Amino acid sequence: MSFTSLFGPRDRGATPMPGLFGKIMLALVIGAYTIYTLGPFLWLATMSVRTTAEISADHYAWPRPFHWEQFRIAWVDSNFATYFWNSAFVVVGAVAVVTLLGAAAAHALARYRFRGNRVIYAVLFSSIIFPPQITLISLYQILVNYNLYNSLFGLMLVYISLQLPLTVYLLEGFFARIPQDLFDAAKMDGYGDIEIFRRIVLPIGMPAIATTLILNFIQLWNEFLFAVVLITDPDKRTLPIGIRAFMGDHFQDIGMIAAGVMISVVPVILAYVFFSEKLIRGMTAGAVK
Amino acid sequence: MAHDAALASPKAEPGEISSPGSLADPRRTSWPVLMVFLVPALAIYGGLTAYPAVRTIYDSFFTIEGLEVSFVGLQNYRDLLQDETFWVAVRNTFVWAFIAPVLDVATGLLLAVALYAGVPFARFFRVAWFTPVLLSYVVVAILWMWIYNYDWGILNAGLRAVGLGSLAQSWLGNPQLALGALIVTHAWKWAGFNMVVCLAAIHSLPKEVLEAGELDNCGWGAKLRYIIVPMLRPTLLNLYILAFIGKMKIFDLVWIMTAGGPLWATETVSTYVYKRAFNWNTFDLGYPSAIAAVWFGVVCAAVIILNRVLASKERLEY
Amino acid sequence: MSVVTLDKISKRYGSASPVVDAVDLTIADGEFMVLLGPSGCGKSTTLRMIAGLEAISAGTLSMDGRVMNHVPAKDRDIAMVFQSYALYPHMSVAENLAFGLRRRKVGTAEIDRRVKEVGDLLGLGALLARKPSALSGGQRQRVALGRAMVREPMVFLFDEPLSNLDAALRVNTRNELIKQHHRLGSTMIYVTHDQVEAMTMGTRICVMNGGKVAQIGAPLEVYWHPADTFVARFLGSPPMNLFTAPLTRTSEGFGFATPGLTAPLTRWSAATLAPHADRPAVFGVRAEDLHLDRAAAGPGPTGTIRGRAFAIEPLGAETLVVCETALGECTARLPRTVALRPGEEVDLLFSASAAYVFDGATGKAIPADETASAVRGVLRSLQ
Repeated sequence: MSFTSLFGPRDRGATPMPGLFGKIMLALVIGAYTIYTLGPFLWLATMSVRTTAEISADHYAWPRPFHWEQFRIAWVDSNFATYFWNSAFVVVGAVAVVTLLGAAAAHALARYRFRGNRVIYAVLFSSIIFPPQITLISLYQILVNYNLYNSLFGLMLVYISLQLPLTVYLLEGFFARIPQDLFDAAKMDGYGDIEIFRRIVLPIGMPAIATTLILNFIQLWNEFLFAVVLITDPDKRTLPIGIRAFMGDHFQDIGMIAAGVMISVVPVILAYVFFSEKLIRGMTAGAVK
Repeated sequence: MAHDAALASPKAEPGEISSPGSLADPRRTSWPVLMVFLVPALAIYGGLTAYPAVRTIYDSFFTIEGLEVSFVGLQNYRDLLQDETFWVAVRNTFVWAFIAPVLDVATGLLLAVALYAGVPFARFFRVAWFTPVLLSYVVVAILWMWIYNYDWGILNAGLRAVGLGSLAQSWLGNPQLALGALIVTHAWKWAGFNMVVCLAAIHSLPKEVLEAGELDNCGWGAKLRYIIVPMLRPTLLNLYILAFIGKMKIFDLVWIMTAGGPLWATETVSTYVYKRAFNWNTFDLGYPSAIAAVWFGVVCAAVIILNRVLASKERLEY
Repeated sequence: MSVVTLDKISKRYGSASPVVDAVDLTIADGEFMVLLGPSGCGKSTTLRMIAGLEAISAGTLSMDGRVMNHVPAKDRDIAMVFQSYALYPHMSVAENLAFGLRRRKVGTAEIDRRVKEVGDLLGLGALLARKPSALSGGQRQRVALGRAMVREPMVFLFDEPLSNLDAALRVNTRNELIKQHHRLGSTMIYVTHDQVEAMTMGTRICVMNGGKVAQIGAPLEVYWHPADTFVARFLGSPPMNLFTAPLTRTSEGFGFATPGLTAPLTRWSAATLAPHADRPAVFGVRAEDLHLDRAAAGPGPTGTIRGRAFAIEPLGAETLVVCETALGECTARLPRTVALRPGEEVDLLFSASAAYVFDGATGKAIPADETASAVRGVLRSLQ
């Protein structure tokens, strides 16, 4: 029992600070860092509801009035709707497929003993460190050969391969901790291997699967390099390359860029608001030793 | 139990897998079932990761201009040795990969300790500080291009406001400062990640140790220096290696903010490969393949060496 | 009808020595067979081979004469209750119960009926909608049992199902299981390392040691006639006292007569013991057969163990006295009124009919001769 706990409940690990000076310093550091991380984002948010003319007059003024129509203009007139739906199609498709394939592979690697199990795991896992260029140039050639260049479907395939190692890694760790007795019990209840995967592993693994879903979603939603190489058609641009292209064409139109950026950020922020704990856990899984 | 002993036994006798009786062993199944689970993932991996990687290495011995492919042997690699831009890119990437992770991890650790010290609303701060991690590089790049804007960016505006207008800079336009400016931007995005990992690691430390330090009248500085850092060593090294890997691949941020300029001051290997493959008028895919192959080797070797060096030091520690 | 027959069943992993070694065992229809032994003796592996969860390395497993070696677990019509209960955490109690039925193409109405019936029978009626995480240990145990019962299988298997329960609950659940066995009359095979469970529940007990069957028999038969020193010590608490001493010829036939131990062996004929004479043998006597006064030892000849008490353990209903003797430690279960102090010299008396003798080399019991054994039975009934 800790000494301090005799004096009543305290926060986890809370300890008395050395004094008033220390407290003020701590508060200053924390306040400054919070402004540093959130400030730019709030600034961006204010600019997204101001017209470019207003922004040019004063970059740091509070929006007055709020020009919500900026979003409508960005959505309709500046093609952000197209980019948004392209992104949504590619990312949702890729995430759904990679989660299913990754879960199946992770289950096989976590549950069954067979020759080559650890080799397959190591090979999949090691590709997490690959620099993207090693596949990028060839993937470009391959997709051109198979008429998948400049196609959202082709990009989706590439995205599946990009997220596969991480998905297998995260799910394998979770699936391996499901007690063997549950599998034995299901076998005694008359179920075969594939049924057990569908009815036992997937439902029990749901927390981990949800984490990988969100994680994969955010990483692919933000993906830039492969999209910029594999997509050239303006109608097929995803949000990151769409914003980048828009900025290239309308460098001065800060208000519109800000509105477009906000559109691209909203799904991520929503996912974060609803699943912040899961997300943080997923992103940091494996880093804590 | 006998059953556990079975799980621990490293391998079965040859041929046992195919005998029908052994299928009843709890951790074995038939090959068709394994195939159903593994083949889709392995097909994706083989077709879209392994094959392209091998093909890139193969391509590096050719000059590939559209449909004209000619074998050039090691010529691409010889050219690479003479390519000054490549070496500038390597230098920049190394500076970034070795130095910036220290900044990331140290910031993350200090922030984590600040939260651990018992700040009210710690959950809010944790979530707030983690937000930049989720933003795409495109968004981060645009934001920071505006922050660094010469005329109205918050940095120069702030300097002018406090009478230090003479220090106002074209942060991304000055070859001396551009790389530093990018490193700061990158650290802005990633510090929150390191913070969360450090915080989780601190919380998993045995509480008695920190409390013992308290009874010894240890200040936070001393506690950090003598208790937290040594005990968190494995986590911190792990974070360093993760950050290192990330930086060896860095592309998006640089490409959008400076495109490698000014005067190659921020050129990284990734941006250079991209330029040579898709942006220059040469349209030769062989030479950038050679760069990619070399860099692939460098990253793998660096990760293995870092792991070995840092891990072996750790072994001496205990 | 469901007779389970194990014919020279073995399990080996790789080239290591077998975990289960040529086990022969026939479990009759409706029998409650307990596999008893210390951990690592192969009893769980044997059970899992019957279940189909472990491959059988050698030998034949059959049920009602049908060879089952290569029938997958899912097709064996066997239900199993696991030590960890292995309830599906994402399903409610009702779904847990119904899961195995659904696979077996039982109609929805029939599933509902059986789930309700078993739920009521086990007092789970009010819990059917709950998830396992919202149940207590005892409730989980009952769901695990219910999941097996609802299937109405040919054979029930239990793998130490009570070991995660606290003591009071364990007794209750034990009685519940006995009750259900009487009601269902099904064949049940039960693995445990707890001799009390084995003694109270089993129609027969199969004691296992080192992968081999040490003895099979009804609980009291195994208790009174242990086949070897392992069984003698494993059943009974405290374990049977065993002393290695030379078997010598005495005036009345054969017996032990060494410092600290005098034991006339009236249950054995001279012909039986003669081959063991003048060689070390193992003498055994149970703690409850040791007494301080001559009268309590009963009529007939008595033997004596001489020692010095060094631990007095009052248990309330009785007192355990541990003595140091010339041949080793000896534990006696004495009346609670006993007034001994540590360090005191004691003579522990026992009836000659309570003596056991085992072969010094093999540890196998030397069976008493019929007549002597009958006498002993009569004496027992008089006590």
